[in-house]
Amino acid sequence: MTLRRTGAYLLVALTALTFGYLITAQLRAELPVPSNRVVRTEALVRTVQDLESTNAGYRSQISSLRGQIDTLEAQAAQRSDTTQRLRDEVAGLRAHAGVTQLRGPGVVVDLGNGRPGAGATDYLVNFQDIQDVVNLLFQGGAEGVAVNGHRISPLSSFSGPAGTVVIDQGNPLNAPFQVVAVGNRNQMEHLMGDASKLGGLRNRQRALGLALSFQGSPDLTLAPYDSALETRFAQPA
Amino acid sequence: MPSRPSLNAVVVGLLSALLAFVAVVQVRSQFEVERSLSGVDPTTLAFLIDDLHRANDTLARDAGALAARRAALQGGSNQEAAAQLNAEAAQLRVVEGLVPVHGPGVVVTVDAPLTPLDLQDALDNLRVAGAEALALNDQRLVTSSVINGDSEGVTVDGVSVRGPWTLWAIGDPTRLSSAADQMTRALRDDPRVHSAGYRAESDLVIRSTVVQRPFVYGSA
Repeated sequence: MTLRRTGAYLLVALTALTFGYLITAQLRAELPVPSNRVVRTEALVRTVQDLESTNAGYRSQISSLRGQIDTLEAQAAQRSDTTQRLRDEVAGLRAHAGVTQLRGPGVVVDLGNGRPGAGATDYLVNFQDIQDVVNLLFQGGAEGVAVNGHRISPLSSFSGPAGTVVIDQGNPLNAPFQVVAVGNRNQMEHLMGDASKLGGLRNRQRALGLALSFQGSPDLTLAPYDSALETRFAQPA
Repeated sequence: MPSRPSLNAVVVGLLSALLAFVAVVQVRSQFEVERSLSGVDPTTLAFLIDDLHRANDTLARDAGALAARRAALQGGSNQEAAAQLNAEAAQLRVVEGLVPVHGPGVVVTVDAPLTPLDLQDALDNLRVAGAEALALNDQRLVTSSVINGDSEGVTVDGVSVRGPWTLWAIGDPTRLSSAADQMTRALRDDPRVHSAGYRAESDLVIRSTVVQRPFVYGSA
């Protein structure tokens, strides 16, 4: 009797499983079958992800090596006044190049994508928007700027397709964006609040709902620049 | 006395839960794949891949150079440390625009009433193409240089600059020439532009330098 009941339960369970499998298979069949184009795009996306992972690894390695070199130089400077003087001079140059941490008062600017319009990509934050904000912050007396944690150097460049921002040799960045600047907080806040600045961005904020806001802070910290500062062609004249 | 659920009922319940879980995971993962790929243009992805390859090559080179520096310093020689610091100081002065520089590059000339935004875009185009030193007319520029508009035209770090415009860029001559070519073609289609052209130079000299402001607010 018990055996028969167990068999009945198993039958019910098997029927339920089969039914569930059939429903799932049917639902999957209803979805668009991936075309060759989708398969190719998938392969490209995987390649981008692999390269991004390699990129992050190199930048982490560069940060670590710069730290180790600094420690070894500090040890050498303890043994020689000349080396100590050189190290102090280089420390100032490194600070202005952005390869060391910077701390102080400043402004945090947040930017986000708006509502999709009729096919255009104007609702997306693009690299020119980020470049305009960074330029305005430098105009307001920023001594150091970072975008989504990526420090801006004297040679930094901005590029990328719509909705993507590539800075120097970093990974492609997407919204939401946060631009952090350390420097003259009052002047930067004044410029960010000036309705005559960032005209294109403000128009799209009104029309397409792009997010743009800023807040001053008494104490912000910028991480060091973690990419290459190469000068393979330019030499002192 | 409440009846205890039989073992069989528990088994059926677990199987049903498993079934629901598997079905949901299957359907959601398919939707996720579809969603993540929507709107991604293969051409855009190909450009990103190209940029990432170049970026990773540069990072690998820099990491290799830093590893060699570390290895040399591990010898504990003060002379080695001093030599490295001197070399780094010289390189950072170039990066920060503090010294005159020379090297291969391009000179772009544009006769047009360009705005500060036009000039910022043009300079950024050259930086993306690997410019290591830049000047606009006789004003040296780095990323933090402020290009602004005034009643009569354009200022660079507070100094008035007037057109016609000459942009000097030192860096990888192949990439810079390609960028300058594209840029000047696009400019020639702009009705404001009277003329736009460029020339490649094997040894360009930029004598102007940036006046660096000391930090007032930030500290290490």
